[in-house]
Formats: sequence, C-alpha cells, structure tokens
Amino acid sequence: MAASPAGKEQSVDLGSLSLQQLTAVKKQLDDELEHLTNSFAKLRAAQAKFGDCIRSIKAGISSSTPGKMILVPLTSSLYVPGTLSHPNKAIVDVGTGFYVEKDSDDAEAFYKAKVDELGKNLKDLEGIVQSKSSNLRVIEDILRQKVISGSATTNPASHA
Amino acid sequence: MAEMQKQLQSLTEDYQKLQLELQSTVEARQKLESQLQENKGVQTEFSNLSDDANIYKLVGPVLLKQDKTEAVSAVEGRLSFIEKEIARIEKNLNEAQGKIEEKKIAIIRIQTLYQQQAQQAQAASS
Repeated sequence: MAASPAGKEQSVDLGSLSLQQLTAVKKQLDDELEHLTNSFAKLRAAQAKFGDCIRSIKAGISSSTPGKMILVPLTSSLYVPGTLSHPNKAIVDVGTGFYVEKDSDDAEAFYKAKVDELGKNLKDLEGIVQSKSSNLRVIEDILRQKVISGSATTNPASHA
Repeated sequence: MAEMQKQLQSLTEDYQKLQLELQSTVEARQKLESQLQENKGVQTEFSNLSDDANIYKLVGPVLLKQDKTEAVSAVEGRLSFIEKEIARIEKNLNEAQGKIEEKKIAIIRIQTLYQQQAQQAQAASS
C-alpha cells in the first residue's frame, strides 16, 4: 500500500506540483509516518515483553530447586502460596491459544528467537521510517519555498 | 445547473460511502494477515517439536492437553481457511477499487461539464 505512492513520487517532479497537491502529499506522508511510528512503538513493547519472559525464566525457574516456595497470583492483588515442583519446565504461549511445555533452556531459546526476530523487524522499520521522514522533509522544503515565492509574486501585485 | 449540482452531490456521497467500504475491507484484510502470520508462527513452532511434546490448548480459562497431530491439523485447517478468506477479501478489494475508480471518472466528467456550462453562462451574460 505504501510502496505505490512512494514509487510515483520519484517519477513526478515535486516542484511542478501545486500548493494543494503538495499539501495532500504531505498529509499522506504524515499519516504514513504516524502509522509506522505507532507500529514501531508496538514492536518495541512486544520485544520488551519477551525480554521480560527471558528474565523471568532465568531468575524464577532455571535457578530454582524443586520444592521452592512461591506465591502464585490469582488476581493482581490476591496471592496463594505454592511450591515449585518442576523447576525445569515452563509452558510457553506459542500463539493462537496453543501452549507448549518446554524445558527452561528451550523456552529461553524460544523467547530469544522472538526477540531477535522483532529486533530485525524493528531495524527494517527504522530504515523505512527514516526514508519516509527524509521524503517528508523534502516535501516540507518545497512547500516552504512555494509559499515564500508565492507570497513574493502576489505582494508586488497587491501593491501595484 | 441545479440538476447537475444535485447529481454531483449524490455522486460524491456515493463516492464517500464506497471509500468507507474500502477502508473497512482493508482493515479486514489486515486483520486476516496478522492472523495468518500468527498461525504460520505456530506451525513452524510445531514443526520443531518432538512428537511426544506436551501441547495444550487454551479453552476459556483452562488449558486442555492436546495431541500433536490434532493440534497440527487444527492449525493447518485454520491456515487454509484464512488463505481462502484472504483470496475472497482480495477480490472484494479489487471490486471496490474498480467501483471507486468508476465513480471518480463520473464525478470528474460532471465537474468539467459543470464548469463548461458555467463559463458559457458567464460568456453569454457578458
């Protein structure tokens, strides 16, 4: 969706566009950029969440011994005491309602792969955001020049 | 002139309605895409598991244990369903875009006609 207008821009001389058209292009770019930045933030949040999972496995499971006392949250404010019977096992949410039992190393590797994948996506997205922002800057420059030269040509006319 | 203005107005209303429709179709398409990606992720995860791995399915608030073959076929079924849905929505999208394009052309035609008549009227009065 985003690729086709970007491809068009390269073949159209931006200087030949009218003020109205430029504003429309700028608005479109603004919208795209906002959408992309939102996605970027969401990816970041997801990555942080998976990172937390890794930390929880490391701190809470793999280093524990069987029979370790823990508090199990029933709600956000109600906890019941429990003992950890299988410190080496974790049940991992793999998506779409499926959960898989893994040992802690595998679970850690699973989350690590998720974090890496998201990191790659984030890097790709960052490149796209940067190129879009530079496009936006170019449009804004041209828009500014147009406004200045536009007021320069209308001002003498209004004086005369 | 008034007749044309009315026509133009109804055309623009149609156009806006079509655009809203297109937007909702695009949203549906995006939702399907994310579901497709999620299911594909689960499928690759399953393919890396040993056959005796414990797989649970979340049903309401409880986890039910499920056979690997059962789980794999469930995901495959979902994937084929989602792919069919995507093909259907793509068709809708293309149709909606075609309709929008038609309306756009109709609007432009009426607009130019309107302008021509306005110019003619101006020329006649002056």
